[in-house]
Amino acid sequence: MKVDPAMLRDLLDERLPRAQVRAIQSAYKDADRFDKYVAILQQRVPWPEPIVLPFGEHLYIVAKGAGRYVIKCDCGQELGDYRSNWKLEALINVRATPAELAEIYPEKMHGHPDYNSLREYFCPGCLTLLEVEAVPPGYPVIHDFLPDLEGFYRDWLGRELPGGPA
Amino acid sequence: MPAEPAIADGVRREPRVLAIDAGGTMTDTFIVDRDGSFVVGKAQSTPADEAVGFMASATDALAQWQLDPAQAFPRLVAGIYSGTAMLNRLLERKGRRIGLIVTGGMEDMLRLERGIQTYLGYPYSDRLHVATHHHNEPLVPRERVYGVRERIDLFGTPAVPLYEEEARSALQALVAAGVEGVVVCFLFSYRNPVHEQRVRELAREHHPELAIFLSSELYPMRRDLPRLNSTLIEAYAAEPSREQLQRVRAATREAGAGFDLRIMAAHGGSISIDARELGRTLISGPIGGVVGALHLAESLYADRAERNIVCSDIGGTSFDVSLITDGELTIRQTPDIARFVLNLPLVQVDSIGAGTGSFVRINPSSGRPELGPDSAGAAIGVCWPDGGLETPTITDLNLVLGRINPDYFLGGEIRLDAERARAAVAEQIARPLGMVVEEAAAGIIELFDETLRYEAVAQVLGKGYSPVDYTLLCYGGGGPLHVAGYTEGVGYREVLVPAWAAGFSAFGCACGDFAYRGDLTVDMPILPAADAQAKAGVGAFISAGWRTLRERLAAELAKSGFAEDAITYRHFARMQYLGQLNDLEIASAHGELVDGEQVDELIASFEQAYAKLYARSSRSPELGYLVTNVIVTAAVPVEKPALPAESRQASGVAATPKATRPVWWRGGWSETAIFEQSQLCAGSAISGPAIIESPADTFALAPGRRAQLDERRIWHLEEL
Repeated sequence: MKVDPAMLRDLLDERLPRAQVRAIQSAYKDADRFDKYVAILQQRVPWPEPIVLPFGEHLYIVAKGAGRYVIKCDCGQELGDYRSNWKLEALINVRATPAELAEIYPEKMHGHPDYNSLREYFCPGCLTLLEVEAVPPGYPVIHDFLPDLEGFYRDWLGRELPGGPA
Repeated sequence: MPAEPAIADGVRREPRVLAIDAGGTMTDTFIVDRDGSFVVGKAQSTPADEAVGFMASATDALAQWQLDPAQAFPRLVAGIYSGTAMLNRLLERKGRRIGLIVTGGMEDMLRLERGIQTYLGYPYSDRLHVATHHHNEPLVPRERVYGVRERIDLFGTPAVPLYEEEARSALQALVAAGVEGVVVCFLFSYRNPVHEQRVRELAREHHPELAIFLSSELYPMRRDLPRLNSTLIEAYAAEPSREQLQRVRAATREAGAGFDLRIMAAHGGSISIDARELGRTLISGPIGGVVGALHLAESLYADRAERNIVCSDIGGTSFDVSLITDGELTIRQTPDIARFVLNLPLVQVDSIGAGTGSFVRINPSSGRPELGPDSAGAAIGVCWPDGGLETPTITDLNLVLGRINPDYFLGGEIRLDAERARAAVAEQIARPLGMVVEEAAAGIIELFDETLRYEAVAQVLGKGYSPVDYTLLCYGGGGPLHVAGYTEGVGYREVLVPAWAAGFSAFGCACGDFAYRGDLTVDMPILPAADAQAKAGVGAFISAGWRTLRERLAAELAKSGFAEDAITYRHFARMQYLGQLNDLEIASAHGELVDGEQVDELIASFEQAYAKLYARSSRSPELGYLVTNVIVTAAVPVEKPALPAESRQASGVAATPKATRPVWWRGGWSETAIFEQSQLCAGSAISGPAIIESPADTFALAPGRRAQLDERRIWHLEEL
């Protein structure tokens, strides 16, 4: 299915009617969908480095040149090399007591703090909430995703990684 | 039943039966005369007042016989309506403003719905693709749903009394919210309706004008969500249709008609527009063909004990299969319509998304051709430039192979561009497959035919029957084009193709009995230890259910002026092994079960039906049985359209082709004889390869097949 950039933009902003979303979900992807999508994201960020891979809400892997790839927030804040866990660079708020959980849950609707705590990760640059982990207390920080950038570009997009081999 | 030239014989013509199909855009009127000839009229639909569109359409039809409504209507003896207005109202969420009262704690039932409703109607690929599933917008928003504390347990005993104060304030709030009606649906109300009835009494005391719809009265069957859905749809979408239908009826009466306008209902009978359960007419179009097939079977096989038919319908978007076994339609008790599961017994029609408009694509990941499941709908294919499509459809492939005549599509009303189709097929299909255009097109048509063949055979085998016991009937605009393909090598008893295949569904709608159906849940167990006396008790309980339903249906028919003694009742029970999940509909020879022996007869019939359908090892008589629902149908005789009856000069008459053209059959082009349907007389026999064209459809006879036309203008397709 051919999806034009205006439609992708609406999809991204959650303005597309349900029927159209479903049509996109159910149809084959057009071959250049990834590039169209990245182009829209690139237009929206205020910094010049090329986006290599969208990395989740507000986060991107960008090429810094000379084979260096870092994770960057919408606002421009950098969160380290893409191979390391960006969460270690973020501001962290842990909700581990009944009082802290009660701030965001109705009474008796949250997990027991002995078994479950919430860890909220914020961007140090713009204070946007980037991720929440629900884990047993003391559980190691989860490294969500370690992409094979070169493999993705070579095998799926059929070209070399822009910005040189990582 | 050929399309006949208009002749100035309005005086001789005797129009008898009228059928209206009011679609979203066009209203078609179908009028049959005493000899079985018919005319079809068309006019634009007028949703604001359907009577206007209907009269325009009827006038258009009658003009072809040089008649006007004032001359023709008094001579009509039957009029049947089918339409999509109610369904559209539901799909577009343009129904009435309704309030809902449920058992306290169940207020979110519409928002939670059942998981299955989030993907109903999806093709298999999307059912597996969970991200595509989504919830329906509730027919009643949460703020107009009120919970009232009460509880009837599953035995029908009040476990918690109705909190009348809560019911009063709920009604008060709903009236203040400006509702046009209130639906009341309590748990287990089908076992004991006292609480629902009490709510209605309270409403009458305080708000006498308020329309109240009780689930225990309209659809008293188990399964909470389908019961709620059905009752809601009755209030939300069906009631507004009643007004429209009354207008149409008024228009027919004004023109002098004496017949009582009926509507096709989901169970295969037609009912009066005054019927209490109008929601039963929510869908009628798709089952028209099946009802027509039943009528055909009764006429063709009057002398045959077993009347088994596979009804197969190919339209633009889907291939629909339904079985008639021993002269009975198959009924599905909780079908789904417009993404709602309902308690509306519906003629079972199984569909796959494979029609003549289905898109054909090469899957970029696997490199294999794929059919549908989506389709071009009214846009035909790439061959129709006005449709603006770029993806080829099955019709495009048929055009590439010369099987469809681009200058004679819909009688030449629409010109098709064969070159445009060919270019698209070459580029998008043949090239990625690395094949010659015709070979690729023929291969995919073969794949299409095979898909249909397996679907039809699977329906028969899946029910425990064998194709050799069935006649396959083919209709729908695309049926005759593919019937030779999808019946090839299957040993059906006979393969029949009416010469009016494209109009067969409309014809079928005019064939409906005047028949009501009543359903009631009894959930009556027959325990393994039951002796004759206990069984007699069960029999008495079932009989009481039947009696209730008979009274209800007699009252419905009385509205149309039929006395009790004109009604033919039939009695059914739905049964299952106690603890199993699927019940079967069993006909009973008795309308009153007076002793244990008659209950044993019913059990024996159930055992027999079960043995046909399921493995012997899954029987579990040691656990006993459960009679889930009791059912009564009540029918009165009505006139149905006559089948054409031509005189046949001889059998195997050689026909004269109107032209020849090259058509690609398996393996290559061959110069093929082209016949005109209306020029062929009864007894004509044609051997493939040949094409028989008519304005409405194309009948493709592949090499190795032969077709003979009988006196009723039905083709009998044989393998040589």
